Amino acid sequence: MILADIITLWNSSWPAGVTMLVLGVGFALVLLIASIKLKVEQDERIDKTLAALPNINCGACGFAGCQDYAKMVVADPTLLGKCFPGGVKTKEKIAEILNLQISEDSAPKRPIVHCAGQTEDKTLFAKYDGIPTCTSANALSNVQACKFGCLSFGDCVASCKFGAMKIIDGLATVDYEKCTGCTACVKACPRGIIEMVPFAYDKMMTVACRSVESGKDTKAFCKVGCIGCKLCTKQSEAFVVNNNLAKLDYAKYQPSEAFETAMNKCPTKVIVYRGKKI
Amino acid sequence: MTFAGGVHPPDYKELTENCQIRTVGAPKQLAIMLSQHIGAICRPSVNKKDKVSAGQVIGQADAFVSAPIHSPISGTVKDICLCSHPVLGRAEAIIIEPDEGNVSKQICAAQFDSNFNPDKFTAEKIFNAVRDGGIVGMGGAGFPTNVKLKANPNSPIHTVIINGCECEPFITCDYRMMLEWTNQILAGTLLAAKALDARNIYIGIEDNKPQAIEAFEKAIAKMAAANDIKVVAVETKYPQGGERQLIKSILDIDVPAGGIPPMVGVLVQNVATAAAIAEAVVLGNPLTYRVVTVSGSGIKNPGNFYVPIGMAVGELIELAGGLTDEAAKIAKVILGGPMMGFAIADLSIPITKTSGAITVLTEKEIGSIRIKSKETACIRCGRCIEVCPMNLNSTKIAHAVKHNLLDIAEEHKMSACVECGCCSYVCPADIEVAGYIKTGKILAARQKKLMPK
Repeated sequence: MILADIITLWNSSWPAGVTMLVLGVGFALVLLIASIKLKVEQDERIDKTLAALPNINCGACGFAGCQDYAKMVVADPTLLGKCFPGGVKTKEKIAEILNLQISEDSAPKRPIVHCAGQTEDKTLFAKYDGIPTCTSANALSNVQACKFGCLSFGDCVASCKFGAMKIIDGLATVDYEKCTGCTACVKACPRGIIEMVPFAYDKMMTVACRSVESGKDTKAFCKVGCIGCKLCTKQSEAFVVNNNLAKLDYAKYQPSEAFETAMNKCPTKVIVYRGKKI
Repeated sequence: MTFAGGVHPPDYKELTENCQIRTVGAPKQLAIMLSQHIGAICRPSVNKKDKVSAGQVIGQADAFVSAPIHSPISGTVKDICLCSHPVLGRAEAIIIEPDEGNVSKQICAAQFDSNFNPDKFTAEKIFNAVRDGGIVGMGGAGFPTNVKLKANPNSPIHTVIINGCECEPFITCDYRMMLEWTNQILAGTLLAAKALDARNIYIGIEDNKPQAIEAFEKAIAKMAAANDIKVVAVETKYPQGGERQLIKSILDIDVPAGGIPPMVGVLVQNVATAAAIAEAVVLGNPLTYRVVTVSGSGIKNPGNFYVPIGMAVGELIELAGGLTDEAAKIAKVILGGPMMGFAIADLSIPITKTSGAITVLTEKEIGSIRIKSKETACIRCGRCIEVCPMNLNSTKIAHAVKHNLLDIAEEHKMSACVECGCCSYVCPADIEVAGYIKTGKILAARQKKLMPK
């Protein structure tokens, strides 16, 4: 019975089936010819490069995403090494694909927040109850006494794609285990206190302050601000005091006794270590 | 004829509208900001411990869009250092300690009478006097007036509008000036029109100030040179005093978004600026003093004061009787009015050329002071769109900024926003719409690297 049904069905519908088949083959042929005739030549190295990239589209390289960067780096080899999250491994892989020589590696750059003021250190003139972002708070004068300190509303936290930024006790803190050095936080900070620093060692010494106020004002506004006393400059030439603010030349830093002494002698304890395993 | 949108906040002007402008004694110390206006920041031309005399230039303007700064009093330069600034946070200021026995400058409105004739002054002389007098727009923006008064042959100015609207609640400094300094303002108006060779002159005043309108009509009838000036009563509505809104109300012309009034041949000046122009051109006095309204329920004796630029806000509040007991506990001090002013946290912030008022609000006026933002979700009621005087989709822009979608915000003409705050005022969900738009503008400027960090 079933067989009879199938035969009946076949007899009544085979023209439709054949028509569909003919149409299908016809269009397939059209597509086949089109794909051969209108083929766009793409450098196969682009696909290989794209595969070597982390594919997180963070934009740290300055291009629209990994695909865009892959295209650009193949066209212009000087852009090699712009992928910060990928780091040295990605750089090596891309260099291999593009047959390039890579120069000596410089230390990877990581952000340092140049502020040490935690909630209890900061002087506040008033309570801020506006839009809770740093950019909004920064547009209003004197939300916190120090104009150069971390506002702790977390614009950098929101910008970080790797969960490496955290506000701990009113201070933006970098988790260097997770950080890839993509510079998103540097761009997000309205006060510009986050700076990329070459990390030659696992932990770097830094003057965690950006206040160019006079020593008296800095002290009035924050317990851990640099007052420009120049004690550190006597220990090492790497410290330079300019405009009431000490700065450490990171290129000259190396772990040594002189730097330790400078750190211990700092009266406001603003010279600190930043990096892994503090 | 009026503009679309706008709100009617309670104006609280009864607190100070009958207080005559008072002069004050010598200040303890002046902090004169080097950045008081739009344009290039001034370069200090005095050194620490120098003696300065009243009216001496202490800040040089090197760029075209800038204005020099003068010392209001004679004294000694104590220091040139960072000081709290109402907008920039901390900025360079010249600190001047007045000499013993300093007498404060007197109001010179009495020196202008109805015989004033602007034909004595050439356009060039007016321009130079305004530039050397360091005059900037005193309504709030602080755009250097000499730039506005420079005649541009490509877009001639045919109409001068003097802005006497003062639509912001609490502020009455312009109103008192219009009543007391009527002839001086008319003189300044005629001089500005003369500098630009403008034929039509209007004075726009909100119709809730009939006395000011009457004062001007009487003064114009008496002054032969001012007979062509028309006084226009415009509808009482916030933000009637915005220049685009005033041009729409008086002339029914739309200033293109992203453009400025000179593009349609109109110049808008605040009444205080007009008074300053008259003083600088006729008497040669630079802009060193201004009228400031100190008002709000947190002030014991609110009033209008003629104060030197650089006086600390705290000192001025003391002159007005100080804070009430209620305000001493919890208060919001605003430089400017409640709609467009900036809340300030440091009372050592000095008065600048653009600050027209200090408003101290207590719990009575702002409801219970919010410790945490009580913003709730947007209910899409569209009230902010209804009241927007620029016809923008405010909520769309605010939400785009909130979610960091600046290109969408820009698509909806974020940069055309005049930051009047009507949208925040009407929002039933307590969203700070104007605040988000302001933030968005900063972010966009930073993205384009227009603003230093």
